[in-house]
Amino acid sequence: MTATRRLFLKTGAIGGAALVLRIPVLGQSGRPAGAVRFAPNQWLRVGPDGRVTAVIARSEMGQGVRTSLAMIVAEELDADWKTIAIEQASPSPDYARMSTGGSGSVEGGWKALRAAGAAAREMLVEAAARQWGVAASACRTDSGWVSHPPSGRTLGYGELAGAASALPVPKEPRLKDPKDFRLVGTRVRRVDGPAIVAGRAVYGLDTRLPGMLYAAVARCPVKGGKVVRFDAAGAKSVAGVRDVVEIEGAVAVLADDTFAAFAGRDALAAVFDDGGNGVVDTAELWRRIDAAAGKPGRATRTAGDAGTALAAAPTRLSATYRAPFQAHATLEPGNCTARVEAGACEIWAPTQSPQRVQREAAQRLGVEPDKVTVHVTLLGGGFGRRLDADYAVEAVAVARAAKRPVQVVWSRRDDFLQDRVHPAARVDVAGGLDASGRLVAWSHHATTYHLSMFGDFNPTEDPEGNPWGGYDFPYDTANLAVSWSEIESPVPTGAWRAVYYPANVFARECLLDELAARSGQDPLAMRLALLSGPSPFVLGHLRIDRAGLARVLRTAAEKAGWGAPTPGRPGRRSGRGLACNVYDGSTVIAQVADVSVGGKGDVAVHRVVTAVDCGRAVNPLGVEGQVESGVIWALSYALKGELTYEKGRVAETSFGAYPLLRLDEMPDLETVIVAGSGTPTGMGEMPVPCVAPAVANALFAATGRRVRRLPVRPSDLV
Amino acid sequence: MATFTLTVNGKPRTVEASDPDMPLLWALRDRLGLTGTKYGCGAGACGACTVHLDGDAAQSCQVPIRAAAGRRVTTIEGLSDDGRHPCQLAWLEEDAAQCGYCQPGMIMEAAALLAKKRASAIEIEAALSGHICRCGTYGRIRRAVKTLTAAGAKS
Repeated sequence: MTATRRLFLKTGAIGGAALVLRIPVLGQSGRPAGAVRFAPNQWLRVGPDGRVTAVIARSEMGQGVRTSLAMIVAEELDADWKTIAIEQASPSPDYARMSTGGSGSVEGGWKALRAAGAAAREMLVEAAARQWGVAASACRTDSGWVSHPPSGRTLGYGELAGAASALPVPKEPRLKDPKDFRLVGTRVRRVDGPAIVAGRAVYGLDTRLPGMLYAAVARCPVKGGKVVRFDAAGAKSVAGVRDVVEIEGAVAVLADDTFAAFAGRDALAAVFDDGGNGVVDTAELWRRIDAAAGKPGRATRTAGDAGTALAAAPTRLSATYRAPFQAHATLEPGNCTARVEAGACEIWAPTQSPQRVQREAAQRLGVEPDKVTVHVTLLGGGFGRRLDADYAVEAVAVARAAKRPVQVVWSRRDDFLQDRVHPAARVDVAGGLDASGRLVAWSHHATTYHLSMFGDFNPTEDPEGNPWGGYDFPYDTANLAVSWSEIESPVPTGAWRAVYYPANVFARECLLDELAARSGQDPLAMRLALLSGPSPFVLGHLRIDRAGLARVLRTAAEKAGWGAPTPGRPGRRSGRGLACNVYDGSTVIAQVADVSVGGKGDVAVHRVVTAVDCGRAVNPLGVEGQVESGVIWALSYALKGELTYEKGRVAETSFGAYPLLRLDEMPDLETVIVAGSGTPTGMGEMPVPCVAPAVANALFAATGRRVRRLPVRPSDLV
Repeated sequence: MATFTLTVNGKPRTVEASDPDMPLLWALRDRLGLTGTKYGCGAGACGACTVHLDGDAAQSCQVPIRAAAGRRVTTIEGLSDDGRHPCQLAWLEEDAAQCGYCQPGMIMEAAALLAKKRASAIEIEAALSGHICRCGTYGRIRRAVKTLTAAGAKS
């Protein structure tokens, strides 16, 4: 992924307009104050009843973005949090960036949402001050009220909505001094909680439209393949089936309910033409990676002469690390609801990328994007899968062919077969130490498949910034060679929580641990020494905060009892390991894992301690939640997850074949947020990459065996 | 088209099913509009579709509509009138949900065990280990269960 593409993933737009505050269209009507709502910009409204609505332009997939972004608006507005309402934005020219990926929502929204809330607050204060004939500077705001303490007068925001609407929008509103924050930095429960626990939260699959049919689609499970034959009559003979329609390369069965749609799809007995990718299996996929890894990659970061320095180093180690293909396995399977009528289209989608859905649906229909309305539902998980628009474009095609509203439902099997998987990666790393044990040379070569979700493979694409976790090697060393090999993928691939970081941080942090063990150094002390160099150091558009990384390392180590013996467990060998990372030049994180291993190589992870600095924790309760989530995600990855391929198809198509961590396997989790006071940075992906290396290093401490391929296999430990 | 009558959230409901093997899950979601019960796997492997069948937790994707006929079904929508069942309150108190998709199933599982007998936290956790939360909210769910069982022990 190039720097530009990485930016796209993070912001959802290249370039992108800054916040545009519009001239208010309301409040000029002559209607009495109190009947008018105040909408000074696209991010908020104040109703005549004083109720504040925050408009959220990023997708909620569990990361808490509807809560944290609303908190930022409410903070500067001094809104009453208890009565705040949330509205989900649809794509429109008002919103430059709606893509939710790269853990960029809070960081990306921080300035604009603060300014939006502050501008509205300033206008409400000005309206009150004029009404009272006092100086605005003598007025205060709190929880939806403006007051003038010298005279004891107060007015609610709702009462001021009309007058405020008539005022000009300040171009540079004054922001609060962060020390005056009352909401940002406090522990706030998610705004969608009450609807979720009552079963009222609406996900994509919960969309219900009048006259809607349910559809199941027969698609070839091989990339580039298509349906060539099917038994339409057979499908139509299934009770509840209404119609069978062909779309490009696939066939949809429409029915009165999802069960009939699935049964009708089975009865199609669709025959596929797999195309050229139907011969690919797991061994072949690794052969292609190994072939590419055997050739020099494209150099992306070079310092000194790593080859010569490695050859001369008195202590040197090299190793190959492997991470397999992974599924997203969002608990809400793929789905999308669409209605196509009279050249216009409405889409209800659990999407991370509503603007992409709008654009690609319009292309498919041959209409202008403004004819396509996208309603973003809640997402039952996203993790990168829902950055693609394939499932939405497919639903639009089915709805057009069916000439009525349709909900396309993917079975769990469909969801595995049509995933845009996290590609396998091979990382070859080498490190050399001088006689004093200092790292004098490091080489890092990553080989993986192109992410087809983001477009066709282009071998001449600028590899700058890759591989994540290798390019941004945070440690100080005089000789460094980082290179990248990307190959075209015969299976559909895509972004997956933390994208390239997990495999590359696994290799980097494990080889460092190997070097520490080889040279008799403490892995913590060795890292701290390598982070004592200039900080921050600037690498392209990244700032690598070595001092911050050292701080979270020390914090996590202290909390975890680093240096003290791990608790003994009868019949089991115990160990403790650590790893750390700087994510995209922003959030710094360190994690320590305590594990034990039984006689048959069975692994238990007992405790994971995390210390993180995300610039500023807008909602510490949410930050902790993302750490808990990321650790569990990563443990599924490190201990269980692996997709294999046969005849171009994913072989694992159920939760039985692709197991995920369960409640009875979860370790104790402890999180320390190292207080930051700057701009908040992301938290969704950041807790993922260090878990596997911390666990692998702990397994070495326990058993003396090195884990260099994931998932961890008991046979690698005995 | 066959017709089945069952009691859903305290009210008699009639379901027209194209097939008597249609799982209760789809009857609830697609025929009765009760979308709080979630489809996760259709194979009894994730627990997202858990409801109460005559008071016991059951995975509605594994119960054919013909087997639910004449019986009492409670869904997340009917667990309480106001969303303030002790399980719902405990879940809110811990801010347990992330994406929330699996949570109705988890809540229904815990609620059935608490109502049936004074289940221990260990028993409830064992039952909840049949559920998948891809967001990994297990730690907070564990805390919510501890609060519920401690409160039950005191009463």
